Amino acid sequence: MRVSILGALSAGAIASLFAFGAAADNIRIGLVSEITGPNAEAGSYTINGAKLAVEQINKKGGILGKQVELVIEDNQSTNPGTVLAFSKLGGNSDIPAMIGPIRSTQVQAASPAIQKAGIPVMIGGTDPSLTHVNNPWVFRCRPNDTFSSRVISDFGVNKLKLKKWAIVHSTDAFGSGGQKALTEALKGLGVEPVLIQGYTNNSQDFTPVVLAIKKSGADVIGTYMTNSQDVGIFAKQLRQLGVTATWIGSPSIVTDTAMKLAGESLHGTYGIADFNPDANAEAKAYAAAYRSKYSVEPDVYSSWAFDAMNVIAQAMNSSKSSKPDDIRKAILALKNWKGVEGNYNFDANGDGLRGYNIVKNDGGKVKFVEHISFDK
Amino acid sequence: MQNSQSRRLSPWFFILLALGVAVALLPYMFNVSHFVLSMFMQATTYAIAVLGMVVVLGYTGQINLAQAAFFGFGAYGVALGTVSYGLSFWVALALGIGIAGLAGGILGLTTLRLGGHYLAMITISFQQIFDLVAVNWIEVTHGPDGIAGIPRPSFFGHELSDDRAYLLLCSIVLIALIIAVWYLPRTRLGRAMRGVRENELAAEVVGVHTLRTKVIAFTMSAALGGIGGGLYAGGFAYISPDNFNFQRAVEFLSMVLLGGAQSPFGGALGTTLLILLPEWLKEMPPALQFIKDVYLAIYGLAVILIMVFMPEGIWGLLRNGWMKFARAKPVDTSGIKPLNLDIAVTETTPLLKLEGMQKHFGGLKAVDGVDLEVRRGTVHALIGPNGSGKTTTLNVVNGIYKPTGGRIIVDGIDVSQKSPHERAAHGLGRTFQNIRLFPSMSALENVIVGAQRDNNPIERGSAALRARAMSALEFVGLADKADAIVRSLPYGHQRLVEIARALAGHPKLLLLDEPAAGLNQTEKMELVELLKKLRGGHGLTIFLIDHDMGLVEKVSDRITVLNFGRKIAEGSPQEVLRHPDVIAAYLGDANAAA
Amino acid sequence: MDALANNFQVLFQGLALGSIYALVALGFVLIIRATNVVNFAQGDFAMLGAYIMVAFLVNAGMPYWLSFALAIVAMGVFGLLFNYGVYYPLRHRGFLPVIISTLGASIFLQNSVLALFGAQPKRLDNVVAGGIQIGSVFLDSQYLVILAVTMVMVAFQYFFFEHTMIGKKLQATSQDKDMARLLGIPVALMIAITFIYSAALGGLAGVLVGPVLFVSIGMGSIIALKAFAATIIGGFGDVKGAIVGGLFIGVVESFAAFYISVPYKDAYAFLMLFLVLVFRPQGFFGEKVSEKA
Repeated sequence: MRVSILGALSAGAIASLFAFGAAADNIRIGLVSEITGPNAEAGSYTINGAKLAVEQINKKGGILGKQVELVIEDNQSTNPGTVLAFSKLGGNSDIPAMIGPIRSTQVQAASPAIQKAGIPVMIGGTDPSLTHVNNPWVFRCRPNDTFSSRVISDFGVNKLKLKKWAIVHSTDAFGSGGQKALTEALKGLGVEPVLIQGYTNNSQDFTPVVLAIKKSGADVIGTYMTNSQDVGIFAKQLRQLGVTATWIGSPSIVTDTAMKLAGESLHGTYGIADFNPDANAEAKAYAAAYRSKYSVEPDVYSSWAFDAMNVIAQAMNSSKSSKPDDIRKAILALKNWKGVEGNYNFDANGDGLRGYNIVKNDGGKVKFVEHISFDK
Repeated sequence: MQNSQSRRLSPWFFILLALGVAVALLPYMFNVSHFVLSMFMQATTYAIAVLGMVVVLGYTGQINLAQAAFFGFGAYGVALGTVSYGLSFWVALALGIGIAGLAGGILGLTTLRLGGHYLAMITISFQQIFDLVAVNWIEVTHGPDGIAGIPRPSFFGHELSDDRAYLLLCSIVLIALIIAVWYLPRTRLGRAMRGVRENELAAEVVGVHTLRTKVIAFTMSAALGGIGGGLYAGGFAYISPDNFNFQRAVEFLSMVLLGGAQSPFGGALGTTLLILLPEWLKEMPPALQFIKDVYLAIYGLAVILIMVFMPEGIWGLLRNGWMKFARAKPVDTSGIKPLNLDIAVTETTPLLKLEGMQKHFGGLKAVDGVDLEVRRGTVHALIGPNGSGKTTTLNVVNGIYKPTGGRIIVDGIDVSQKSPHERAAHGLGRTFQNIRLFPSMSALENVIVGAQRDNNPIERGSAALRARAMSALEFVGLADKADAIVRSLPYGHQRLVEIARALAGHPKLLLLDEPAAGLNQTEKMELVELLKKLRGGHGLTIFLIDHDMGLVEKVSDRITVLNFGRKIAEGSPQEVLRHPDVIAAYLGDANAAA
Repeated sequence: MDALANNFQVLFQGLALGSIYALVALGFVLIIRATNVVNFAQGDFAMLGAYIMVAFLVNAGMPYWLSFALAIVAMGVFGLLFNYGVYYPLRHRGFLPVIISTLGASIFLQNSVLALFGAQPKRLDNVVAGGIQIGSVFLDSQYLVILAVTMVMVAFQYFFFEHTMIGKKLQATSQDKDMARLLGIPVALMIAITFIYSAALGGLAGVLVGPVLFVSIGMGSIIALKAFAATIIGGFGDVKGAIVGGLFIGVVESFAAFYISVPYKDAYAFLMLFLVLVFRPQGFFGEKVSEKA
């Protein structure tokens, strides 16, 4: 048996060494995403976004005169898978930068591996703590949850003048982090939520949640929901049981999937979106290109990766270097760099964005309402 | 198969051991990437958990779909112990293993008496609840965020922060545990486990405390899961609930099945292969790249194919292949001591006494108030037409059924409420009408399980057990077949092995359930000789059922006749067989019609 | 706020989900009775049925009822394949290899469907649009359909087993295979029929539940676990037990989620299961567990 371990492992190791040793003429950028497992849907969009960026970059002459190539590694939608994927890609000296996952727990799991790899990694997880663990290599291409909650509460309290808040959240890391931040942000505006209600992902029935909302008499619901499927079921039951309160949700509420599943139950709701095709000129151009290439509507899962890839290219081109440390410094030096999600100004922690778009589901169409940003 | 052959295999064992140590030292000799080290680390820690599956599934035949939860207990023990409560790694590891073992024991105690399907379901449920609690009880478990910054232990002041050093530690633990698990089937407990797997009822009847054995197996399995998980937490410095979900439990199951559940080497092999499998699939040539998208589907398909075509896993195939080349060494039958069956007959009270014994199944009164005495040192036969309650009587005497009413007294002690293994410990031996042996164990191992009952008046130690078993085999004339796998023996020999298994336990009272059933004439003659040899002044008491009146008449001192669950006659063979009621009972309708 | 209305709403939801558990549990029980093994892919029958429905209705653009019928028929065919691929080769090898084989089938099915249809959940529309509004209580039409179909299936099954020749043969097979063989009943065929029927039943459950839970890869797993709990709580291998057990779990978890805690909703079924196993291991309707010598 031991013989086979030896043989097998060395064969595997040698195979990987060779695989990475090939094609050294290209600039190779790592991408750790979800190809298999429960989040494979979102993962495929992320890959789409990054691929579109690479295509455009290569058309414009690539990075430092070389063509760009994505090295995609599956994380199986799990934390251990993410750690393995990072240590695999991180061990290759010809990968100067990477794009990481959009799930906060996966970033958290991979953080030590990122530190060990010592190359800039663009992430999409929105848990605020991810960029506050003294890891100089983590850069966030999305606004973190403190901003999402500030945008939701600011819009609801100040613009819509609604004061009786119910918060519904998934009990996963994203949901409970968002719930805490939103409660804080509302407190900052002098509002105490009348209901805070958690649920586990893939709930089949939201009746108890809806009844609790009814009972609380809330006139506005703020949600941090992870799965589009849960958004769909919740929306249907909410409207069926006659709750008409305004609903401002985290980005999952305006994903293509959620809107398809829930149909008219989601009409009239507000969502925050990192990305909206009408938010700015860059977004418009990107949306057109994405639609023509993939024939689906672009969403945050693709747009953040598109921005992340472009930030890397921009930083490498402006620093004229493919050394990780030079790239890092160049990213930090970007000033008001215009991406499709907004203007990027990376602070010392590595947070690039501080604002969100407010959008409205208007009869099944996502309409841009306004961009709220907390940039100084 | 295990005992003598593995003795012969021992040089191989040391070669494998040396190779194992060499692999563990490999990272020191070559420059391996962090990624490969991580894979090694995953493989060693998972393999430890998979060893648990070998014990519980491979040896004991009980399914466990919660191994990932036990793995999780170990990991959370280490993670929470060190990070939240500031304990030393070793203390936290011990706690984690302890909690895992305890959880396994409690789970086992509540469900193991219910058997297969329940166990599958309960372990799945337990796994799901573990997951829910790990995710939702945020104050304690840190919820889905998981726990980061788990420290590595220091070893005699030497901090194992170097991956290679930590991996070496894990490898040493793994190798030590492989040896322990490999040795287990050669122990009393290991044989009991395998007996439970092969035939649980027979194991219980020959004196194995089957519930305890299963609970111990489950506890050991859980503790091994805990060890693996604890080391995993230290190795990766970060854990979160999705390391320990149902999918991981299925992975552990697949690993042990692929490699071969009945051997720790198989378990380790399966673990290694399945950890490497995704990597291999990723390195496929472009034409086969589509496999990447469906490899989990292939994984599922593979599980079915393994079950159909390779039930003993890869290791089983390798071992069977090797066995074909290995010559069977003849059994050394010299120096076998004659079987001591002596029971001191000092009292005149009956050895077995049934007082108004009843056994009802719903409305059916299978045994309805039978009084019966069996004198010491005699052969007492119980006869009667089909459905008269003979086998039920034997099953109640033996403890397989609890009586509905009345008392069963064996050698002055009321055993009515005792379990079969307690009665075996009190000196009851038994054989079954439809032979119940442990089919994939050797004849010798079968008989050793019989010899290892509690209170067997032989010396302590495995040598004495073995000697006792060889004597019993010699007594039935099968000493030269000691190493043969029972399944491959002819029917008549299997019956003799079953008798030898009962005799090895040095019974006061031997219950024989239709010993002549299925035997041909020659074999019946041999059986009669054997029974005569048994009654030859050893003090052994025999209580038997048979349909063959010729045989009953030849060997019995006394006969009791049952009909419709009641005693209708009793006496010497001559008296009883001429008794008009008995003739009527046997001829039944024919008489009435005349 | 009307407490009575709330309770009624919660009860209705619980009964509706419970009847889905009951339908899947019924499939479990039939296979347990015919083969003495638990089919761990039973939930995936529901998932597969729903996806086949999506393929006919959405991808191929066929009419609703034709797609519905084709999905059920396709599941029947699948049940036959399942019998010969997963169960039949292992029929003489005890329950453990078969259980493991069905687990493998479950993994295979989920990931094959994932590769074919992608991870994005699919929408199915209600059989009848809308629902009934009674005061503040809303009864979703699909839930009403589910309840009705469950009742019809229970009645059908009763009629089928008690009053048709083939049903009686199936019963004989499940009670004593050797005896059935002696009576000239083709046992292997009867078992194949059982698989066909329970796959179709699973498919029906999937098609019905698709509009309310949406069609996703994991939809079968959680339903199957609850359904299995239902078979044990009701009494292992008991048809009555499966139905009562399914409804019981649906109602208990619905009320417990409403009154105690929503996030632990999935734990209540398992908690019930533990309690039943400790205090009444034979379930509501089952007979005492014991092994024959």
